[in-house]
Amino acid sequence: MKKYIVCICSGTTCFVMGSAELQTLADHLPPELKDRVEIRFSHCLGLCNDRNFSRAPFVTIEGEPMGGATIPAIIERLGKLVSGNA
Amino acid sequence: MNGALFLDVGQAQCPKKGERVCGDAFRSRKLPAENRVISVLADGLGSGLKANVLATMTATMGLKFVSADAQILPAAEIMMEALPVCRVRKISYATFTIIDCRMESRTRVIELDNPPFILIRKGEPVDVPHRELVSPKHRDRVLRVSEFEMQPEDRIVAFTDGISQAGLGTDRHHLGWKRAGVAEFLCRRIAAAPTVSAQHLAEQLLREALSQEADGCAGDDMTATVLYFRQPRRLLVLSGPPYDQARDTEYARLIDEFPGRRVICGGTTANIVARILHREIETVIDSGSRTLPAFSRMPGTDLVTEGILTLTRTAQLLEGDLQPGERNAATSLVELFRESDLIEFVVGTRINEAHQDPTLPVDLEIRRNIIRRIAAALRDRLFKEVSVRFI
Repeated sequence: MKKYIVCICSGTTCFVMGSAELQTLADHLPPELKDRVEIRFSHCLGLCNDRNFSRAPFVTIEGEPMGGATIPAIIERLGKLVSGNA
Repeated sequence: MNGALFLDVGQAQCPKKGERVCGDAFRSRKLPAENRVISVLADGLGSGLKANVLATMTATMGLKFVSADAQILPAAEIMMEALPVCRVRKISYATFTIIDCRMESRTRVIELDNPPFILIRKGEPVDVPHRELVSPKHRDRVLRVSEFEMQPEDRIVAFTDGISQAGLGTDRHHLGWKRAGVAEFLCRRIAAAPTVSAQHLAEQLLREALSQEADGCAGDDMTATVLYFRQPRRLLVLSGPPYDQARDTEYARLIDEFPGRRVICGGTTANIVARILHREIETVIDSGSRTLPAFSRMPGTDLVTEGILTLTRTAQLLEGDLQPGERNAATSLVELFRESDLIEFVVGTRINEAHQDPTLPVDLEIRRNIIRRIAAALRDRLFKEVSVRFI
């Protein structure tokens, strides 16, 4: 079964803006997502200085950047991908 | 000519069971102009706070007298007279070992009633001839003075009697572990790890001494100190993107050109190096915590960490304001600092605009200020040679 890859930035700005919390994402995944998601970490996605994106903390989900990431927002996005409604 | 060599100093200490402070004191001072390092280990008689004060007084006086090249016998007399005298034993309340290491000539060790130091050369303990000095005023106290020339890879190990008497009264060691037991252990450790750092060896010696005790607790104050005379180990730390982007390539190439260990502190910095040298970076799973980002690995480097938060924590650890807890990016960096002698920082000064966002929940210190704090702590507390270059 395909696993969806979430990569969490742990650069300085992302970390202080909330990625310290995102590190606990695995503990918050609902049962239907638990086996469908692979969580990775990046030393720095390099997105915080790019004005085209929104705000830290950044993650990528299947390579797509998401700014202002929160655990509920990541779960919502993953839910849509898994159910094919993305 | 030993001018190019470096003296690595390490120490480990444990107070007597039931005491909160150690009644031994260890002080070191580097005199760069004379290429000289002076270390004093003092054991205050008794234990606890009083012993600690007496040992600290002794170590401080010893350091001052020897730094000023005072004659040793009159200096020792002054020290003995300055300290209170034990009513029962009629001797003054401290013993000491002074190690005066002149890197380009001879090393002198002056001992008063501490266990004799051990010189380990080529993996074996070496007998060093000594002469004895007795003050007419204190006929029961004999100063032992040894002079010799240090050779590369020599180690001087000095310790208080809490170490050599560890296990006193146990079935295994009726009379304690003894100096011979200490020497045998040191040789075994050095054979297993010939380049073990002074700090690691001192910690291993302390742990082994504690394991000789019946209950694993120190029967007396214990201090182990190691001076290791070695080829300097070099460490390069790159942190921060160069002010002028045109210098990114020159900056990244420092990593490959450097003859020693290499560390990158900063996400953007790591990205620059990875882009120019075509390297992959892999973040180590579970190496982060709620307060500190994870560290990473990149081929050709020994450690890659996040920048400002990790450097700030590292400065706090080096300044002694924090106890190292579990292994994380900052403790790994401190470990690399401890194992190195010549530490070179190359600090990029381009400002990360995202760090200036007024909505950030914490103040991020300016990189060059933290690096200055780290450099000062490395020089003053760990006696490292440090250079800082801004780019």
